[in-house]
Amino acid sequence: MNKELEHSFVELLEKHQNIVHKVCRLYTNNYDAHNDLFQEITIQLWKAYPKFRGDAKFSTWMYRVGLNTAITLYRKSKRRINTQDFSDVQFKISAEAYDDTEEQQLKLLYNAVRQLNDIEKALVFLYLEDKNYNEISETLGISEVNARVKMNRVKNKLKTILNP
Amino acid sequence: MDELELLKKDWQKEDNNYPKLTYNEIYKMILKKSSSIVKWIFIISILEFVLWSVVSFFLKDADYNQRFKEYHAESIMMPFIILGYVIIAYFLYKFFMNYRTISVTDNAKVLMENILKTRRTVRHYVAINLGYMVVSIFVVLGIQFNRDEQMISVIEKASANGELFKFYAITIIIVLLVIAVLIGLFLLFYYLIYGILLKRLNNNYKELKKLEV
Repeated sequence: MNKELEHSFVELLEKHQNIVHKVCRLYTNNYDAHNDLFQEITIQLWKAYPKFRGDAKFSTWMYRVGLNTAITLYRKSKRRINTQDFSDVQFKISAEAYDDTEEQQLKLLYNAVRQLNDIEKALVFLYLEDKNYNEISETLGISEVNARVKMNRVKNKLKTILNP
Repeated sequence: MDELELLKKDWQKEDNNYPKLTYNEIYKMILKKSSSIVKWIFIISILEFVLWSVVSFFLKDADYNQRFKEYHAESIMMPFIILGYVIIAYFLYKFFMNYRTISVTDNAKVLMENILKTRRTVRHYVAINLGYMVVSIFVVLGIQFNRDEQMISVIEKASANGELFKFYAITIIIVLLVIAVLIGLFLLFYYLIYGILLKRLNNNYKELKKLEV
């Protein structure tokens, strides 16, 4: 029974692993931390899996567990030596003369998003994943109105970061 | 906002060069142990319960106890000891009940609240223990002042020299100093451990709460 459960879980996660990678991409700055967070989210998903009911979509359920782990449960990795910081790379790029190519703009955008706080990142993440405000409010535990207000503030904050 | 739409378009591209973990790599991960703050909070909380039980056990066990028998003060001490056990039973029960409600599948705010509630239980337990300790110290002193022969003779001597007030004042000041140092040490310990462990959680919780105002 346990083997069956393990098998079905690993198969599902293998298929939907991009969701976890995306959470890690927003909340970590380097390769080691990315792997660390990925592992912790996997463990939390697995621990919660026996209680997972099929009435929710596996991917929807993953958003919640993934974000909760990143925002609340995860202790930042201490192993940061000898690893290249993503943000350092991006910082160099942003310091260069502004080049209006789409790629350049995207790099600046990712860099700006990384400067947001944990909760703001969660809002942006759910927004980028095309979640509606109802889902955003349910995932974070705030009202729909407040989710909208906060999202507008985040957009403004991003604008300020991009055009100081 | 056009920029965010641009980001969204890129974000949703499937070929985003994410690492592709294999079945076996993921399988190995589920066998590893979690290092989440909930696990650390659980370990530290249990250590606190054990520490305080050991402290009170040794206090009760010391040759101190023998001396108390000589004072015939069981009627005062017994309720105290029973109260101590009731306190630990109550808080352990409350701690486990709170701990069990922590679920990673709750929404972010509820999850944070449940973690903070679990911690609060342990904090209350420690605060009550400190209070219990302070009251015990004064009760013990009171009993000794009244029933310890050595103490009574010291008091009589002080009273004969007209230094009774000085004697009481010095004793109380020393006791208060010891209590202050003990409480100071505990606060420092708390500040260090939980300041580090819960800083991020507290900040994020505040940020979510701020949205409600």
